[in-house]
Amino acid sequence: MKAKISAMMDGELEPHELSEPLSALEADREARESWRTYHLISDALRGDANLLADCARRVSQRLAQEPALVVPLPGPVREPERARWFVPSALAASVAAMAFVGWVALAPRREAPPQVAVAPVSPAQRAAEPRKVPVTRDTQDYLLAHQAFSPRNSLQGMAPYVRSVSDETVQQPK
Amino acid sequence: MSRTLGAWMLCAFAGMAQAQASPEALEWLRRIYQATEKLSYTGTFVYQQGEHTETSRITRRAETAGSIEKLEALDGSPREVVRTRDEIRCYLPDSHTVKVDQRRDQRNFPALLPAQVASLGGYYTIRMDETRRIAGYDCQAIVLAPKDELRYGYQLWADVQTGMLLKARAFNRSGETVEQFTFTQLVIGPVPRERLRPPAVARNWRVEQAAVSPANLAQAGWSMNADLPGFRKVIEITRTLRQAQPVRQVVYSDGLAAVSVFIEPLAGRSETPAMGLASMGAVHVYTREVAHHLVTVVGETPAESVQRIGNTVSYRAPQ
Repeated sequence: MKAKISAMMDGELEPHELSEPLSALEADREARESWRTYHLISDALRGDANLLADCARRVSQRLAQEPALVVPLPGPVREPERARWFVPSALAASVAAMAFVGWVALAPRREAPPQVAVAPVSPAQRAAEPRKVPVTRDTQDYLLAHQAFSPRNSLQGMAPYVRSVSDETVQQPK
Repeated sequence: MSRTLGAWMLCAFAGMAQAQASPEALEWLRRIYQATEKLSYTGTFVYQQGEHTETSRITRRAETAGSIEKLEALDGSPREVVRTRDEIRCYLPDSHTVKVDQRRDQRNFPALLPAQVASLGGYYTIRMDETRRIAGYDCQAIVLAPKDELRYGYQLWADVQTGMLLKARAFNRSGETVEQFTFTQLVIGPVPRERLRPPAVARNWRVEQAAVSPANLAQAGWSMNADLPGFRKVIEITRTLRQAQPVRQVVYSDGLAAVSVFIEPLAGRSETPAMGLASMGAVHVYTREVAHHLVTVVGETPAESVQRIGNTVSYRAPQ
């Protein structure tokens, strides 16, 4: 079963093959632990140790507000918009699958949504999504010129200057 | 699964709904500020941003005449940054270049002064968090949770004895880490002056000296406004960048996060840079063209903030 869960996580299963591991996740505590462990391992390998910590609970909270998303569809499942923004695309499929599992596994223990004090930005205020461009050498010059005026220096000394001379981020593949 | 983190996040959210800034936490921010100003130390820290991590050594020698600080990259090419009372020098071995930036003021203008710490409570909910041991130091954690989506939150861990900042984490509105600085080793105490010497190999490198002078952008026909709560204009200058034509720079800050707007002519550039949004951990860079000029907005803020400021930039030929 662990192999199937792992394959599902990697998006390697066909839709009709999903019911078995999904049932296992619903019924079997050990299976759920494997699911979480695999995700933590995958996050740790990517260096995103915080990304999925307690994700199931967060996803289920979000789904509580968006019930339409949890209907199993023959086509691709739309993952929540915010997740798409932060989750590397390889992981997006897992998140979509997990959204469903999270609902199955955790919906009965729905909790009150967290009190959110952030002032939401209305769609009208929100700027149009700009084109994503890579960081270039020029960026470092701007960062250097900017850093001198950042109040963060008062708390962190010179540490933030590491960004201004970071040579690896420039070559970072996108 | 880690219930503790989940519980922490719920507490953080619940905490945000309540008020404002705990006096004890504000006092800790002042302690961190003073420690940054007064201590001598040398240590190794890891900078993390997405999948990128980088290890650096930082050395600081506090002197009454003005302290000296040095940052050395330990991964990749051995870049160094040396900051003295008057200037910042970046030694870049790959290009055999020394970039020199003048410091306008003895202070890290616009420094977060202890007196201004309280005003941060307008945009962040500031509270104490748990204590934790980091690199052998017992640290007190302070959380600054943003009150809106226009800035990141910060979790800071400072040494209980000295107030020295051992770890700083910037997080987005979902509580996810966007950037993190963590000391893995630190010795607080006197540092010999030799440790702060600039690299000898740089003697014959090319020097790019930035010249900075005050400016008035409105007079030159430029207008912009940071219609973002809490962000106020702190400085307006003309500077050189990459030895090229003068570049205008305006800096906005909420007291903790800062956003710079750079405006420079596109004429004379060999290639037009790609316009759009570039991201690097907590830093976002938004570029657009306005009246044959390149507008570059750089900020340690969510993308939304740099974009909104950038989109207000406009030009009208002065009468």
